Amino acid sequence: MPIEYYFSLALVMFLCGVCGVLFRRNILFVLMSIELMLNAVNLVFVSGSTFLKNLDGQIMVFFVITVAACEAAVGLAMVIALFRRYGTIKSEFFRILRG
Amino acid sequence: MSDQLVFWGLAGFITLSSVAVVTVRNPVTAAVALVINLFLLAGVYAFQGADFVAAIQIIVYTGAIVVLFLFVIMILNLDPEHLRSPRPRIWEHLVLGVVIAGFAYIGYRFLDSLDVGKVASNRLPDNTYDVAMILFSNYLWPFEIVSILILLAIVGSVAIAKKPK
Repeated sequence: MPIEYYFSLALVMFLCGVCGVLFRRNILFVLMSIELMLNAVNLVFVSGSTFLKNLDGQIMVFFVITVAACEAAVGLAMVIALFRRYGTIKSEFFRILRG
Repeated sequence: MSDQLVFWGLAGFITLSSVAVVTVRNPVTAAVALVINLFLLAGVYAFQGADFVAAIQIIVYTGAIVVLFLFVIMILNLDPEHLRSPRPRIWEHLVLGVVIAGFAYIGYRFLDSLDVGKVASNRLPDNTYDVAMILFSNYLWPFEIVSILILLAIVGSVAIAKKPK
């Protein structure tokens, strides 16, 4: 398969993730969209690694997955803390920084 | 020919499930769509001969991260009206369209400028062995530092989610 097809698939996934982050109000959806974007980047890494016959890209995917797991754990802990404090997980209610 | 069939099948369902993750209204449905998406992506990795990455994709992503999402949805125990998001307004649709068009155009220009051939169909032999050799030689220090990162994430998430006294 031409590598452009894989990159196009990654582009579609990344666009879905961007739209989710920008336009969903529920923090759980925002976190899932971030996972989607990370996976799009992983797909580019693996395709490039296969194309160049160089395994460094797959090592990088390994690290990205590890960091994504940490990010999901801390992010979901923050969701629980926010829900306890404010009783909602909709992002329009968190407006302390708005002044 | 069968390569084409596998790729287009996987790509179609990955696209559908990605759209489902960001458009459905119930977080549980979105999490299940995310599981399907990540599982099919592991299929793409295996199709490209990246066996090790495909395995950790299934174990870590679909086995741990998405289950964590489902656990949090369960712990929060939200009312059904909390679970639903409000419908986006019309200007949001407009901005969404512009953003999508802009990104798609940039991506199209990038893909158009690429001058590369096909992804090699002959798989690298002993993928997991080769990955391990590189990981434990060139990338030994990042590997160890990542273990510290995981430890910090464990402590941090417990400290953040703990019930305040």
